[in-house]
Amino acid sequence: MITLQDKNILVTGASSGIGRQIAITASELGAKLTIIGRNIQKLEETLALLAGDGHKIYVIDLSDAANLTSLISESTAYDGVVFNAGVVEYLPVKFLNENKINSVFATNFDSNVVLSQKLMKNKLLKKGGSLVFVSSISSKLGVPGTAMYTASKAALSAFSKVLASELASQGIRCNSVSPGIIKTAMTEQAAHVVSDEELKKAEAEYPLGYGQPEDVAGLIMYLLSDISKWMTGSDLVIDGGFTLK
Amino acid sequence: MEINTFLKNFADILEDTDAALIQQETVFRDLDEWDSLIALSLIAMADEEYSVKLTGDDIKSSNSLNDIFEIIKNKA
Repeated sequence: MITLQDKNILVTGASSGIGRQIAITASELGAKLTIIGRNIQKLEETLALLAGDGHKIYVIDLSDAANLTSLISESTAYDGVVFNAGVVEYLPVKFLNENKINSVFATNFDSNVVLSQKLMKNKLLKKGGSLVFVSSISSKLGVPGTAMYTASKAALSAFSKVLASELASQGIRCNSVSPGIIKTAMTEQAAHVVSDEELKKAEAEYPLGYGQPEDVAGLIMYLLSDISKWMTGSDLVIDGGFTLK
Repeated sequence: MEINTFLKNFADILEDTDAALIQQETVFRDLDEWDSLIALSLIAMADEEYSVKLTGDDIKSSNSLNDIFEIIKNKA
């Protein structure tokens, strides 16, 4: 049975969607959570949904490393960290510019790298701990209009592998997960770009339909728990069979 | 904003279509070149040129380029 009893777990992007569900499920398995998000109201909603007590929240915009100071100085070492914060932007390559490239990478890649670096440097990762990076199935595909999102997620998966090597001697594991389309506010927003009709057509490409946040959360619980103690450097696809087609 | 400038901006996102075919009454969906990438380009162009967030449903509910132009004008 998977348990996270008394594990100290940090989750970024926990205001909504997959991140919120990861925090909720982890708390139900006994973890003490520190959750990070940009929206205080939504973050407090997540906090109210957590089982047990002793959880902490930090309202931080991770795209600026200067905002990490209080989190780093007030934290005790973590058994697990889920790097989940991310944004999606649909833009054909022809319309890219330096600002757009930087803003997507700042959130989806740079902020996660900087946070992991600060946690390491300040000895805030426990031996035997587990780091999980939330990537995307699109990092392995070539869906038109997703160049920067896809590139930033592919970079994250690649980073996770190198980090897995560097942390292996301390017994700290590092893996990424690549989900297919999950029904969240973020994909709802995408629906406004793609149109509801097209999103429904796209769902037909998923043998098991679109995923729910708890589907990804379940896989991440496995990675955070000691049951997966021999797994590191992997990128796990969870996509309802999408890539079978 | 001006319809002729909009039509020129739209013609600019196309690669294979004769600019003469790009008129106010053109049914953009019937253009050989029309696909999801051109739709995304149209959304990006509206954002870049007019600071307007066009949605997929705006495009779905439109037939002619003039319909798109009117939506952008109303949102600008």
